[in-house]
Amino acid sequence: MKTIIGFEIHEQIATKTKLYCDSPTDYRDAAPNTNVCEVCTGMPGSKPHPVNQEAIDAAVEIALMLDCEIVKDPIYIQRKHYDYPDLPSGYQRTSLPIGKNGSLGGIGIWEVHLEEDPGKYEPKSGKVDYNRSGVPLVEIVTAPDITNPEDGRRFLRELVKVLQYTGKVKTEGGTMRTDTNISLEGGARVEIKNINSVKGAYKALKFEITRQKNLRKRGHAVKRETRAFVEAQMITKAMRTKEEADDYRYIPDPDIPPLLITDSKIAEIKSKMPETPQMKEKRFASEYGIKLGDANVLASELELANAFEKVAKEVEADHAARWIVRDLKRVLEYNSLTFKGSSITTEQLVELFNMIKSHEITVKTGQKVIEMLAERPHSPRKIVEELGLGKIKEDHVVEEAVKDALAENQKAVDDYTRGNPGALNYVVGQVMRKTKGRADPSTVLKMLKEQIK
Amino acid sequence: MQGSNGAVERVLRYLEAVKNDNPNINAIVDIDEAGVLDAAASVDKQTSSDRAGSLAGTVFTIKSNINVKGLRASCASETLKNYVAGYDATVISRLRDAGALIIGTANMDEFACGSSGETSCFGPTKNPAAPDRVPGGSSSGSVASVAAGFCDASLGSDTGGSIRNPASHCGVAAIKPTYGCVSRYGLIDLAMSLDQIGPIAKDTVTLAEVLGVIAGHDPRDATSIKNGGASSYSKNLNDDLSGLKVGVAQEFEPLTDPKIMDVINKKIELLEELGAEIKGVTLPHLGNALPTYYLTMFVEFFSATRKFDGRRYGKRIEAVCGREVLRRIEIGRYISQKEFSGRYYKKALQFRSLIKKELLNALKDVDVIVGPTVPKLPHRTGETIDDPLTMYAYDVLTVPANLAGIPAGVTPAGKVDGVPVGLQIQGKPLGEQTILNAMHALESANGGRR
Ligand SMILES: [Zn+2]
Repeated sequence: MKTIIGFEIHEQIATKTKLYCDSPTDYRDAAPNTNVCEVCTGMPGSKPHPVNQEAIDAAVEIALMLDCEIVKDPIYIQRKHYDYPDLPSGYQRTSLPIGKNGSLGGIGIWEVHLEEDPGKYEPKSGKVDYNRSGVPLVEIVTAPDITNPEDGRRFLRELVKVLQYTGKVKTEGGTMRTDTNISLEGGARVEIKNINSVKGAYKALKFEITRQKNLRKRGHAVKRETRAFVEAQMITKAMRTKEEADDYRYIPDPDIPPLLITDSKIAEIKSKMPETPQMKEKRFASEYGIKLGDANVLASELELANAFEKVAKEVEADHAARWIVRDLKRVLEYNSLTFKGSSITTEQLVELFNMIKSHEITVKTGQKVIEMLAERPHSPRKIVEELGLGKIKEDHVVEEAVKDALAENQKAVDDYTRGNPGALNYVVGQVMRKTKGRADPSTVLKMLKEQIK
Repeated sequence: MQGSNGAVERVLRYLEAVKNDNPNINAIVDIDEAGVLDAAASVDKQTSSDRAGSLAGTVFTIKSNINVKGLRASCASETLKNYVAGYDATVISRLRDAGALIIGTANMDEFACGSSGETSCFGPTKNPAAPDRVPGGSSSGSVASVAAGFCDASLGSDTGGSIRNPASHCGVAAIKPTYGCVSRYGLIDLAMSLDQIGPIAKDTVTLAEVLGVIAGHDPRDATSIKNGGASSYSKNLNDDLSGLKVGVAQEFEPLTDPKIMDVINKKIELLEELGAEIKGVTLPHLGNALPTYYLTMFVEFFSATRKFDGRRYGKRIEAVCGREVLRRIEIGRYISQKEFSGRYYKKALQFRSLIKKELLNALKDVDVIVGPTVPKLPHRTGETIDDPLTMYAYDVLTVPANLAGIPAGVTPAGKVDGVPVGLQIQGKPLGEQTILNAMHALESANGGRR
C-alpha cells in the first residue's frame, strides 16, 4: 500500500527583534511578559511596524537554499483569524509564498513563507506569556513526495542541516515544529500536529501508518481529521475532524503594504549565501577524491566542513577526511558537541594528523589524543610528551612484550602455524595492550613472525 | 498667549465654558483638568524662556479612539469603557512636543460606527450650531467641542467621512489628509485601509498649523508615507487662486438636496471670482462608492474587533456593543467566510481600485474637485432612523476620498434652514496645501471667519 507523506515545517528565524516591533526575541530566559510592547500584545490602536527586513532576507535565503523560485510579484501578509488566548489580536499574520517550486534531496518544496509566532498559553493557570508573540517564523511546505518514515526522517535531517547552514535560524533545541500530512493510498488525509523533533516526526509517522493500516484491516475507513502527537507516549490522538475545521477568513492585512523582493536584493543575498550541504558534499567527493559517505559526514556541519577544507590544505585530504569522519566525529558525538561548540582548532588537527601520518605516534595513540583535544586546548605534541605517549623507540621493550605475549597465547600461535593467518592479529593486539598502544604495530608483526619461525 | 500666565488663563477660560455648556452639548467625555493645567503651566514656563513649540498653549480635545496615555480610550463603547491608554498615539506625542494642551477626550459614535453622533455609550452629542439637529458623526464630540468653544482644535478620525460630515453640519473647518500622511499609530481601528486622523478647527490657519505638526513619516506605522507631510502648511498659506483649476462633478447635483446645492453653487461662483477656473468632471462610478465602502469596512472592522474577545480588555464586544457595531461585525463575519470572499471583499477591492483610478484621472485635469460634503441636512434630534441604508446614504459624497486615499477638506459654506452646510474640497494625493489655500481664500473673502 502506497503511503503519501508531506510536511509543514516551522522554524524560528534568529533575529534580534520581533517581526513587527522592536521587542527582543528572547522568550526563553526572560521573565514572562517582559520582552513585549503594545504591538506584540495587540494593545488597542497599536500597528505593526514595517516587516523586519532581516527576517525577510532570511526567508529569501532559506528559499534560495531550497532551490525555490523567489516570488517577484507583491507578496501580501494575510490575517489568519482564529480565537485562542495566545493570539493577542485574534489573528495571526502569515505571508503568501516568498519562494515556490523548490526541492531538497528529491523532495519537492511547495512554498516558503513568513509567519509570526503566537504567545504561550498555559491552560492550567490560564496565563499567557507574550514574550514569544511576534517572533518570526519561516514555514516550509513540502510536496507529498515522501513515501515512508525513514525517508521522512532523512529529509528532515537534511533540512535541519540546510537551515543551520544559513545561520539564520535559532539553533537551541525544540524550536522546530512540524505538521505532517499522511495518507495511505485511497484513504483520507490525516494531519498530525505538535511534532517538535525529527525523531518525533519519525515516531509519529510509524505510529500513524500502523494505526491506519489496522483500521483498514478491521474494515473501518480512515477519517479525514487533525490529530495531535503525544510525545511522551509516542502516539497520535484525535484533535478535531475536518468538518468542524475553522474558517480562517483570510484577508490581506490592511496595516501592511505587500513585500516586494527585487532582483538586486536576490542577487545580493545569493552572493553572500553559503553553498548548500548537498552541493558541498558533491564538491568534496570530486575535489578531494574522498568517499561520498565521508563527504556527507564532513558536510553535516558548516564549521566542520570548513575545518576539513582548512586542514586538507596542509594534510593529505584523504587522511584528514578519514580521521575527522571516523575519530573526531565519534569524540564530538560522545561529548554531545558540535565542532563549533567544541574548542578544537584546525591547528591542533593539522599537527595531530601529521604526527600520525609520519608514524611519530601510533594510530591508537592518535585516537587517544583526539579524545583529549575535546578537553584540553594544548598542542597534540605537548599532550603526547606530557603523558608519555610517544612511540616506543627501544626495540628491547617491544621484544619483551612480544615474548610475553607469545608465551601467554600458545593456542593462537598454534592456530597461526596451522595456517590461520588471522590468529596472529590477536597476538598483535595483546602486544599493543601490553605497550599501551605505544608500539608500532608493523614492527610488532615483524618481530612476531621472526620469533615464531 | 502673551505674558507668562497666558496658557493657564486660556485653559481656565475653556474649562469654564466646558463646565457651563458641556453637560448640555455632551461633546467631552473625560475632562483632564489637572493634567491640562499642569501642561499649561509648563508651557507658560517655556514661553517665558522662548522655547515654545508651534502649538504652545493651543487647547485640544481628542476623539476617544485615539490613545492618550493615562486617559480612557473608550471608543465610546461599553467594551472599552474602562480601558485606560498605556501609551501615546504618535499624533499625541507630536502634539505634546509642540506644546499643545489636551483638555479632554471627545465623545463619538461607538467605535466610529455612525454618521449622527447618537450611538455613544455616553449618550448623544448635540449640535452647538443647530440645537435641534444631530451634529453628524462619527467625530461628533471633536467637532462639537470646537463649535461650542471648548477648545481651539481637535483631532478626529475619518474612515468614510467621520471628520467631514460633522464639520459640515456644525460649521467648522476640517481636513481628512492623504492616507498615510498622518500616522495611525495609536488610533483604534474602524477600517485600517481607510482610517485617517485629521484636525478640526475654527479657522484654516489653526487647521494648517495642527496638520503641520501631526503630519509626516512615522517608522512605527507601516502604511505611513515617507517624505509625506510638510510641516509648513500654515506658513505657505496663499490666497491667490488665479489659475487654480476647480472640478465640479455632474454626478453631485442629482444626489443632493437642492437647497444645499444652492449654497454650494454660490461658493463655487466665489471661487471663480477669486480667479479659479471651473471645469466639469465626471465620476460615473460614484454610485458604486457606497457599497464598495461598506463591504470593505465591514470586513476590516470584523477583523479589527477580534481582539476584543473579553479576555484582555473589558467585555467581549459582541456581548455589550450597540446595535450598529454588532450589525457591522456580523455582516463582516458573514461576508468574509471562505465561500463568499471572492464575491464580496475581493469584488469590493476591485471596485475600489476602479473608483480610485477614476478620481485620480479626474484630478489629472483639475487641481481640486469641489462640491457638497453631505447630500442632506442632519436629521432632528430624537428622530430615529431605523433603516441603516438611509443612515449610510449620508456618506455617499465623503467615502470616495477614503477609497482613493486622497485628501479632502471641509469649509463652512453657508446655512440652510439655519443649519450649517460645508463645502468639500478634494485634492490630489498629498495636495493638502492646495486644499488649505482654497479654504483660506474662501474664508478671507468672507472677512476672516465664515
Ligand atoms: Zn513588541
